[in-house]
Amino acid sequence: MNLWLFFWLFLKASLFTTGGLGNLPLLHRDLIGLGWASEEDFLTALAVGQVSPGPTGLWSISLGFLVGGWAGAGAAAVALSIPPLLVLALAAFYHRLEHLQIVQDFSRGLSLGVVGLAAAVSLGLAGSAISDWRGAAIALVALGLALSKRVPVILILAAAAVAGALIYGGG
Amino acid sequence: MKSFEKTAIKLSSSSPSSLWLIFRTLLGVGLQSFGGGSSTFYLIHEACRRYDWMDEEEFVRSWALAQVTPGINLIKLTILIGNKLRGAAGIAAAVGGLLLPSVFITALMTAGYSAIRSLPIMKAILKGVLPAALGLSLAMGVQMAMPLLSRARGEGWMRLGISLGVILTAGLLLAWNATSPLVVLLLGGGVTAALFNFIPAHGGRDAS
Repeated sequence: MNLWLFFWLFLKASLFTTGGLGNLPLLHRDLIGLGWASEEDFLTALAVGQVSPGPTGLWSISLGFLVGGWAGAGAAAVALSIPPLLVLALAAFYHRLEHLQIVQDFSRGLSLGVVGLAAAVSLGLAGSAISDWRGAAIALVALGLALSKRVPVILILAAAAVAGALIYGGG
Repeated sequence: MKSFEKTAIKLSSSSPSSLWLIFRTLLGVGLQSFGGGSSTFYLIHEACRRYDWMDEEEFVRSWALAQVTPGINLIKLTILIGNKLRGAAGIAAAVGGLLLPSVFITALMTAGYSAIRSLPIMKAILKGVLPAALGLSLAMGVQMAMPLLSRARGEGWMRLGISLGVILTAGLLLAWNATSPLVVLLLGGGVTAALFNFIPAHGGRDAS
């Protein structure tokens, strides 16, 4: 694995997208394409990002670790820290940009695109994540509980772990 | 009160904007915020109120700015807080404090998980956790979509239709491997800006 290419892929993925999950489609395309990461790596990283401290966007650190060990995690951390600095430029020009309708509409379109891409990637992972109808049921229950916002994410994952051990651990 | 605090900031090293306090506070956030973004956001907000780093209005405006620029939103929020308090040094103290422990713990948790994932019981547990993680990432997609769609709905059915169309088209283009995600995003931004230009928001009827 080329660490500089690795660094560039992580930097590029968050430089051109917004939010902690915006980089998911780009990283998915690049790392799967290179054969550096598997679908399971992505699911693992997304799960760790949900429970570990710090922004959920740190799922990229987990992915970096799975692909390149501690060096990968470190390179991913540096790559993730650079694009957010651009917010300073926007903050400086905030009052001028705020009134430009075209800027607002363009950024809304970007966000809509991010939602579509994220949904497509999530659904694309379904094939390797769900093995039978019970897996599908777990996914739907988790979706519902997460949307209700009444159950902490860590409890949802813990309950899913128990369910998995009970359903699939017997055989 | 405000002017007193500003004077105090200059006089005392233990003032609300000392670099050590910024670093120490964000270090605490990075250590305690198990459960991902929502608990991190909560703790940062709490710190801003406790030390009077930002009032609610500025906090919300900073959060809005963080939404539309590249990268992880909570890092951008942390950058804006650090920058406001102490400029470049403040940014380094705040972001360093937030990321040092959380990056380390995230990597450790991944390592621990990788070491035990070949055990049979772990495979069974995984078959439960992976679908749940999928459900959670779908939920995040829905949560990201809701504010965008409800705003478009308030501006009329045409704009809601355009928004849904952009989401659906972006997803399909990616699913069919038609083009790179970056091109999809730029197309989404361009098409939305162009169409919204022809179909003005008519908030009046829907808002009333």
